[in-house]
Amino acid sequence: MAVTERSIATALPTAAAMGLLGCECCGLVCEAGPGALRCPRCQFRLHARKPDSLERTTAYLLAAAVLYVPANTLPIMGTSSVVFGHEQHTIIGGIVELWHSGSWGLALIVLVASIVVPILKIAALSLLAFTAHRRSRWRQAERASLYRLLEAVGHWSMLDVFVVVLLVGMVRFGAFASVEPSVGLLAFGAVVVATMLASASFDPRLIWPDSTDHD
Amino acid sequence: MHAAVHRLLAGSGLIASHEDDAAQARVRPGLVACEECDAVYSRRALSGGDVARCTRCGAVLGRGRWLSVDGQLALAVAALIVFAMGNVADIVTLDLRGVHAAVTLHESITATWTAGEHVVALLTAATAFAFPLTVILLRLYVLAPLAAGRRARGFVPAVRALRWVTRWSMVEVFMFGTLVAIVKSAGLATVLPGVGIYSYAALTLLLAAIQSSGLHSLWQRASELPSWP
Repeated sequence: MAVTERSIATALPTAAAMGLLGCECCGLVCEAGPGALRCPRCQFRLHARKPDSLERTTAYLLAAAVLYVPANTLPIMGTSSVVFGHEQHTIIGGIVELWHSGSWGLALIVLVASIVVPILKIAALSLLAFTAHRRSRWRQAERASLYRLLEAVGHWSMLDVFVVVLLVGMVRFGAFASVEPSVGLLAFGAVVVATMLASASFDPRLIWPDSTDHD
Repeated sequence: MHAAVHRLLAGSGLIASHEDDAAQARVRPGLVACEECDAVYSRRALSGGDVARCTRCGAVLGRGRWLSVDGQLALAVAALIVFAMGNVADIVTLDLRGVHAAVTLHESITATWTAGEHVVALLTAATAFAFPLTVILLRLYVLAPLAAGRRARGFVPAVRALRWVTRWSMVEVFMFGTLVAIVKSAGLATVLPGVGIYSYAALTLLLAAIQSSGLHSLWQRASELPSWP
């Protein structure tokens, strides 16, 4: 049964094969022409595939992977208090603290948002870009779902940035207790932005190559 | 200066550039192309609550309208009120042995700026304040005339900007961040959640409801107006 469904599905006509262009901005379907075209409804540039999609995705991914190292090794915040003195906290350290304080649920959420999601995004987008480059037909439906998952969870990595900014504002008791942001936070924010740009640059239509795709 | 700004905005896709000679394409209104795999379907009317999915890749092709334009407008007005409350009111109050410290979002951003992390402060100001506010204001700007059967002046750049800014608005993540920050500081002081966090929680729900209908329906609705060029 599944096989039949699949063969019907892969026989679907695509816009590119029919000489049509779907507008990425407003969804209108237009006829492709010889020159550059604009969508008559929203004035967006029409293209069968996002221009230089894989090149731009790869560039943002490289940036994210490089920044991931300082984001996790450098402290994202420093605390000072009369009881504990000065302390520097990394992302992983913060998760361990939450866990030990008994907030297992929140520790898990921060672990997923700050560690799992960025790694998942970098690894999964690399896989998607690589298979798209090879014009692979391997597990296309699963790769399409994976892309949708990445788009849905991507911005949740921003969680730790907000936590530190809020703590900096909340804990201001002068010499008694205070929280300061540290450079690792900047690197971490940059990782989040870079991975979001990477997944926005990737064109999921490349998962489904057809006769009109060429390198 | 003006030309440079225009080029920048056009390059980022926020506004239409008319400097190039790209021609207007001919339209096939009866068809829908899957945004994620390019499969073509014929357009079909959907009733409220229906979701049309691509049979090949599973992406959502379209949703039936479950919210009228009036309903969307009402939610956007509510979102603006709640947003204002969330930004004026305290997010939390810390009580450290009698010393009270109430914090708003703006104070947190200012404190981060003062501490020297300017980029992080700007990133937070943009994703938790400026972009959500822009989302609400652009929705109101587009929906109010649409409810009266008219198209807003500058509808095209407004909805294109809305598409961009919705992607970078992170109200729901910020709300969760507040919860984590409250738990983290609980060991140090007594933390009392303020009106601000409840407002942001309500804002999360309202924005999710407004955005569930997507922007394609907005384009569709506007292009069905008799005044559409």
